[in-house]
Formats: sequence, C-alpha cells, structure tokens
Amino acid sequence: MISITGLHKSFGSATVLRGIDLEISQGEVVSVLGSSGSGKSTLIRCINGLEKIDGGRVTVDGFDVSKPRELADARKRSGTVFQLFNLYPHMTAVQNIALAPVEVLNVPRKDAEAEARRLLQQVGLSERADAYPAQLSGGQRQRVGICRALAMKPSYLLLDEVTSALDPEMTAEVLSILANIAKQGTTMVFVTHEIEFARSISTRIAFLDKGQMIADLPTEDFFSDKGMAMPRVAQFLSKMRKD
Amino acid sequence: MPTILSWLNVKRSGGGWGTTPLKNAAAVDTDLLILLSETGFTIEARRLQFDLSILAKHIPFLLEGTWLTFKVCLISVIGSLVLGLLVAAARTSSSTFLNRLSAVYVDMFRNIPFIVQLFFFYFGLPEIGIYIDALSTGIIALSIAGGAFTSDVIRSGILAIEPGVIEAAQVSGLKRATIFRRIALPIALRTSVRPLGSVFINLILTSSVLSTITLNELTGSAKIVASQTFRPFEVYFVLLVAYAALTWSVSIVIGALHRHLNRNQAEGVA
Repeated sequence: MISITGLHKSFGSATVLRGIDLEISQGEVVSVLGSSGSGKSTLIRCINGLEKIDGGRVTVDGFDVSKPRELADARKRSGTVFQLFNLYPHMTAVQNIALAPVEVLNVPRKDAEAEARRLLQQVGLSERADAYPAQLSGGQRQRVGICRALAMKPSYLLLDEVTSALDPEMTAEVLSILANIAKQGTTMVFVTHEIEFARSISTRIAFLDKGQMIADLPTEDFFSDKGMAMPRVAQFLSKMRKD
Repeated sequence: MPTILSWLNVKRSGGGWGTTPLKNAAAVDTDLLILLSETGFTIEARRLQFDLSILAKHIPFLLEGTWLTFKVCLISVIGSLVLGLLVAAARTSSSTFLNRLSAVYVDMFRNIPFIVQLFFFYFGLPEIGIYIDALSTGIIALSIAGGAFTSDVIRSGILAIEPGVIEAAQVSGLKRATIFRRIALPIALRTSVRPLGSVFINLILTSSVLSTITLNELTGSAKIVASQTFRPFEVYFVLLVAYAALTWSVSIVIGALHRHLNRNQAEGVA
C-alpha cells in the first residue's frame, strides 16, 4: 500500500502540495487529474523520493521514503515512467531495461536480457530490441520506458504524464499498452491529461487543485453527478472535453 | 654535405663573417652564388641553408628524447585522467567537504603557471627534505596540473546530462556509485572526449617545460643537439615537426574515439 498523509511540499516560496492524504492499495488504478501546476507531478516525485518532502509522511509498503535507509526499499517496490522517457542514451533498449535488474536485484545478465526481450515483445518492439534511444520514435521510446519500469517487477507503477510528449498516434499506441498492464492487475498511479483514458482504466480518480486534493472518488462517481456537484471538477471536465 | 663545406670555404676564404669576395664563393659552390651578391652577407647565405643530414648522427639521441616525451606524456595523460575522474566525482558528489576540497584543487592548479608548479616541486620541496627525481617530478606535476583541467571538463560533461536521465536511474534503485560509473560517466565522456583531447594535447605541449628541470625529453635533447651542432634552424624545425606529429596523432585518436562513442546518436528515427 502507498500511504500519503498530510503531505506538504514547497519550492522556495511556492507551496505546491498543501496537505495531501491518499491511500493506494494493491490492485487499484488511481488516476490523478488536475490542471497544469496543480501539483500532480510533484505528488509522484514525492512517492518515488525524487523530491524531499517538507511535511507529512509518504510510505510504500511501510517504508518511509523520507528516511534514506528505507528509500531504497521503497524504490524497489515502485517503478516510474517519465513524461520525457529519460532513457539512458548510451544503451540499447535491452540494456536500458536490463541494467537495474542486474545491478539492483542481482539477476544474472543473461536472464535479465532475456526478460527484457520478452517485455519488448509484449509491447511490440522485439525488432527494435538492440536499437539505441536516438534510433527510436517517441512512442517506441516510451514503450521501452514502460518495459524498463516493469522489469523491476514493481508492486506499483507510477506514470507521470507519460503521453504528454507524444503525438496522438503514438499516444494511442502507448495507452493501449497501459490498458493491458492495468488489466493484468498491476497497481498504477496515473498522472495524466487523458481524461477519457483515465475514465476507462481507473478504479479511482483523485483530483488535485492548487496543491489540495479536492476529490477522491471511485471513477464512476467522479464522472457522474457526484463529481459534477463540485464546481471546480465540473469546470475542469467541461474545459478538458472542449479541448 | 656540399653546402656546409662550401660555406666553410667561403668563410675561410673571405677571412671572416663580413662581406665575401664573390669569386671565392663562386669557385666552390654555385648554389651560394645565387644567394650572394657583390655586397651580400655570408651570414644571410648561411641562414638559407637547410640540411637535415647533419642531424643524422644525432637521431638516436633525439629518438631517446622523443621516447621519453612519449613515456612521460602517456603516464601523465593516464594520471591526469584518473585524477580528473576522481576529482570530477568529488565535485559532483553530495558531500560538501569533498566539493570544496576538489574545487580548491582545481582553482589552485589551473591558476598557477606550470613552470612555477614544476620549480616548486623540483627545487622547492628538497628544501623541506622531499627529494623526487626529475622524471617522477615531471610526471607528477603534469598529472596534477592536467588533472585539474581534466576534472573540469568531465564535470561540465556530467552537469550537462539531462537531469531526468539521472532521476530515472535513481528511482530504479541504482546506487550512487553505479549511477556515476554506468550512466553519468559514459554519457559525460561522449560530450567531453573532444575537450579532453585538447587538454591532453596541451599536456603534451607543456611537457616541453620539463626540459627546465634537467629532463632531456624531446625539447631538452633538441636543445643539446642544437648547441652541439650550431644548427638551431634544422634542429628546431625537426622539433616542431615532431611535436606536431605527436599532437596530430592524438587528435586523430580523439576524433575516432568521439565518433565511436557517439556512433548511435546522430541517426534519424527508424
């Protein structure tokens, strides 16, 4: 379980998160929605320990991410996929995927690379397994990024606006893969602007506004009268749909 | 060696360095005739001679000097690279102490003329009881001075890495040392290899200063040959060709290395 209580985060004088409470249990797919600058990405970065938290507590399966000794254990349990892919440019797709299993989980290189190829095959990239990131399209890079996160067999997959840097066609190819992963029962925290997709795969929607979580509802409730009863949510949804 | 003989003859027959009777010169060498005029100077004529063959018997000695330069430079390049890597790691580490210490080192050795550092090591340290032979002093001084520049180049290469790439490595649970070795360094080297080449070429050029502490490397041995033969033009001509060849071969290696390290980056989307 990922447990967030009273999370505060500010950058200098700008407060980005003002007391977030959120619990994510095994098997859930939680989409985090909200306007740009509402703190969605920061929330993810607090869960995987990339940002130092200023207040509150974040634990992953009981491991406190703000304690350096526990951070490594917390990180072993979650995998992150980034908006800008962040692949290692000097490594092939297979090497990108196999690096952490070999170095962190001590999987023999051969096994790790075989697993990497199997994952690449699942996302339709078996032919590009030995290509370098610069030789791949954006959508292909993001699929490698997803495989890299999955290779660590994480209990939780953290997805930080993973389709924001992709054109619609590439977005579709990445989303269909994510839908598959969701179906397989992987727990996901999905920060996104893809409202319709979030609706189709999520079990729950968390809505952030100016650093506060103003809605945390089951998906069907969020998109029904309950959600619409909240003026900010209604405004956001109508605006996003118009776009 | 017709030209030398002719010159000696001219000099002898002319009785000195002043003007030379044309007929005497013409009697021994027609080449010189062209160069001399009625009021011509033999010294001028002498300077226009170019005869590398007089260096023939000094070649083994010059080669020894070249070999010494090569050896010193190779060890110093490796030394400065190792030192540069360690210092770059220290400067990009999270430890404030290591950060400051390495910054002081870089600033200090970059801002002091190399010859002063060298004199301090070779002539200064013995005063407090530290004796190091000329060869070791040269290698140590070059490595330390080169390390300051090398570390700066590698550090800027590391700082230029997309932060997200390092974050991806962090969240996947890789240790700091592993990230440095497997991610940061290989990426930094791809962009740093050319400026590193400049540093190494500079190091080779700087190694000529070692002749001032009795080390008869390429420049040192050339100076000796020049004073023995009284033919500085030929000797230093060979010297500059030798340095150009040394540094040029380094450029070629660096260029190839750069292409190799960046072989998968320039291609378009498949």
